[in-house]
Amino acid sequence: MSPAVAIVLTAGLTATACGLLGPLLVLRREALVGDAVSHSVLPGIVLVHLVLGTRATLPVIVGAAAFGVVCVLALEALRSTGLVRADAAIALVFPALFSLGLLGVDRWAADIHLDLDSTIYGQIAFVPFRTLVLGAVAVPQSVVAIGAVALVDLLLLVAFWKQVKVATFDPGFARTTGVDPTVVARVLLTAVAATAVTAFEAVGAIVVIALLVVPAATAHLLTDRLGVMIAVSVAVGWVAAVSGYAGAVALDASIGGAMGVVATCCFVLALLLSPQHGVLTRALRRRQRVRAAGRAAAGRGTAAVPPTPLRRPGTCAAGGSCRPAGGRWRPGTLALPCARAAGTGALPPRTAAGAGGCTTRLAQASAPGRRSR
Amino acid sequence: MDALIDALPLPYTDAVVATGAAVLGLLAGLVGVLAVLRRRTLVGDALSHAALPGVAVAFLLAGVKDTVSLLVGAAVAGTLAAVLVLALERSSRVRPDTAIGVVLSGSFSLGIVLLTHIAATGDAGQAGLQDYLFGQAAGLVQADVTLFAALAAGTVVVLALLHRPLTVVLFDAAFARSTGLPIRLLELVSTVLLVVAVVVGLRTVGAILMVAMIVVPAVAARQVTGRLATMLVVAGVVGAAVGTAGSLLSTATRTPTGPVVVLLGAGVVLLALSLAPGRGVLWHARRLRRDRRRRQREGVLVDVAAAGPAPVAASALGAGRPSRAVRRTLRRLRRDGLVRATGAGWSLTAAGQGAATAVLARRELWWAWLEHGAEVAVGDAREPDPDDLAGSLGAEAVERLRALGGTAPAVAGGAR
Repeated sequence: MSPAVAIVLTAGLTATACGLLGPLLVLRREALVGDAVSHSVLPGIVLVHLVLGTRATLPVIVGAAAFGVVCVLALEALRSTGLVRADAAIALVFPALFSLGLLGVDRWAADIHLDLDSTIYGQIAFVPFRTLVLGAVAVPQSVVAIGAVALVDLLLLVAFWKQVKVATFDPGFARTTGVDPTVVARVLLTAVAATAVTAFEAVGAIVVIALLVVPAATAHLLTDRLGVMIAVSVAVGWVAAVSGYAGAVALDASIGGAMGVVATCCFVLALLLSPQHGVLTRALRRRQRVRAAGRAAAGRGTAAVPPTPLRRPGTCAAGGSCRPAGGRWRPGTLALPCARAAGTGALPPRTAAGAGGCTTRLAQASAPGRRSR
Repeated sequence: MDALIDALPLPYTDAVVATGAAVLGLLAGLVGVLAVLRRRTLVGDALSHAALPGVAVAFLLAGVKDTVSLLVGAAVAGTLAAVLVLALERSSRVRPDTAIGVVLSGSFSLGIVLLTHIAATGDAGQAGLQDYLFGQAAGLVQADVTLFAALAAGTVVVLALLHRPLTVVLFDAAFARSTGLPIRLLELVSTVLLVVAVVVGLRTVGAILMVAMIVVPAVAARQVTGRLATMLVVAGVVGAAVGTAGSLLSTATRTPTGPVVVLLGAGVVLLALSLAPGRGVLWHARRLRRDRRRRQREGVLVDVAAAGPAPVAASALGAGRPSRAVRRTLRRLRRDGLVRATGAGWSLTAAGQGAATAVLARRELWWAWLEHGAEVAVGDAREPDPDDLAGSLGAEAVERLRALGGTAPAVAGGAR
């Protein structure tokens, strides 16, 4: 297996594992769990060093994974009290665990080099050098490890698809149908912790954090269906893996960093051009609608409203609030004249009708076929 | 500041660290309230990662490792990241945590690519750029403390001036918009306060401590109050106290300051989450237990009364209740002199008879309320307190309800 293939394969498998779990995290508003886990594993590493006196890969991964699980269970416990929101829970748990690790390093491991960068955070460029002989072929260790984790994630997801879906979108309903959302959350977060820790060791933390969040966020902009979202997010992850590697080689820069950048570029593209939710597509649609409505009004002989830039209902060019004057909105008109007198910016008494200085758009909210956001 | 530092009975460096941690705690507590209420606690984390490309670009432009230009680069990149997070949330269906995650990983990746690219071009001067940003709490100097104090004073002034509009925006943004408040401006002001505090904090005490100091005082304060003004004061005090206590503790035990402050803060939050009156986990558990006991007590008392004057065996009481709970409740009732045990079983004392009558009267009133509540004019529009129906309805309404009377619901639950 050539180095390039080994690296891309490892990154792609990481993207697969992350792409399977990331969408669920994004939908549960826990996108930053990967980042939290990446900091929380330190006490586990210190503990393994303290008890076993080793920095070998397997025990370190086990110790780190244990504290990754501690971290996500603590998050879930804090969240389930209902007193702390998800973001604050993350911000409470990971600094505490990381500090515990730092104190441990200071107390028991100051004499050896127990650096996060060298102990737990691998470098994807080193993947081809650590191989494992399977049968007669030398396969990189990380391909085997991450492939196994991705397979387990996939099996879990397929086996508990219905439960995961209902617990993610409607925890209350899940409870009434006998699916305990807390159990689902714990299993999911444990899988995330195990996946993340295994992948940290092979490809480095930032790749994992980026691949957990960015492809899922991209997919969330492109689709409303969970299955499609997961597929898209795996695909975006693979695109990031392949073109990130090519870009890194061309630039002579960090492979992991380049993968993150490519994934972010995909996100930006989706943000601008997504058919449903894209910023540009929405602006374009709005403009077309304004023009069509203007033409329709002109065709019926009613006074056409000139296409002015659209504003949020209730705001007007003079700033602040405004209220429509001159009664109810009727189909065919695009906007109501605002009661705010032109130029002065002052609101006239409520009885005064009309001469509008600006318009309050109502057509936007009542246009047919528009999905409410 | 100088006078305060000199007045402390500590060696100079320790006094500086303690004062600095206190002032930083105060500052972080104040801006943390804004962050926690707007679900932006992890902005600190995002900024700490987002500063990396800023540093790299500043180094590329300046060509040397110069503190000022690197800091400016970091601050610009941090502000840009914060604005990006805001814009992402507003312009699409991206939620706050996802927006933070995307900005964090995207900018950190970009930073790594830039740094490794610089390294590959063979410029030896870039070594250690990555660590340039992050300070240590133990490395605080007096200038930092003065800066914190100035920032904290500025934050207090801004918060005092904007208290009313901020309250409205934080608790009901839609209402705030409908009243014509400049929401975007207010959001921008609170974001700027947060970003400035975080960037300064990152440079002086490091990312982890800063993230913790933002969230700890605000979450602790939220548990003890529901009012913004009180929450700000409590958060400031908690932040300052945690900072001071943590730095003193770390000096006494010769441990690193940052982690000790963070762990102390985590302890304070745990304490607040479990004990806070009206909200805390343990507080809730205690109230739940008290209520359950009272219901069991009343149920068993009524059952004994219903069995008539003859002694009744424990096994015949409290149908549907676990027999152990019934026996325990009976023992408690005997201790209070409400029932007595005879050879044949349990019977009520005179005091117990009175208590049982009172419980039954309360129940009848409740049934009457359920049946005829709509017909009775009550002064208060709110739902009455089921535990003290007579007290919350008033004597007149109670009189009418008793006259109307009520029947026990058909469900067995009514008999308890």
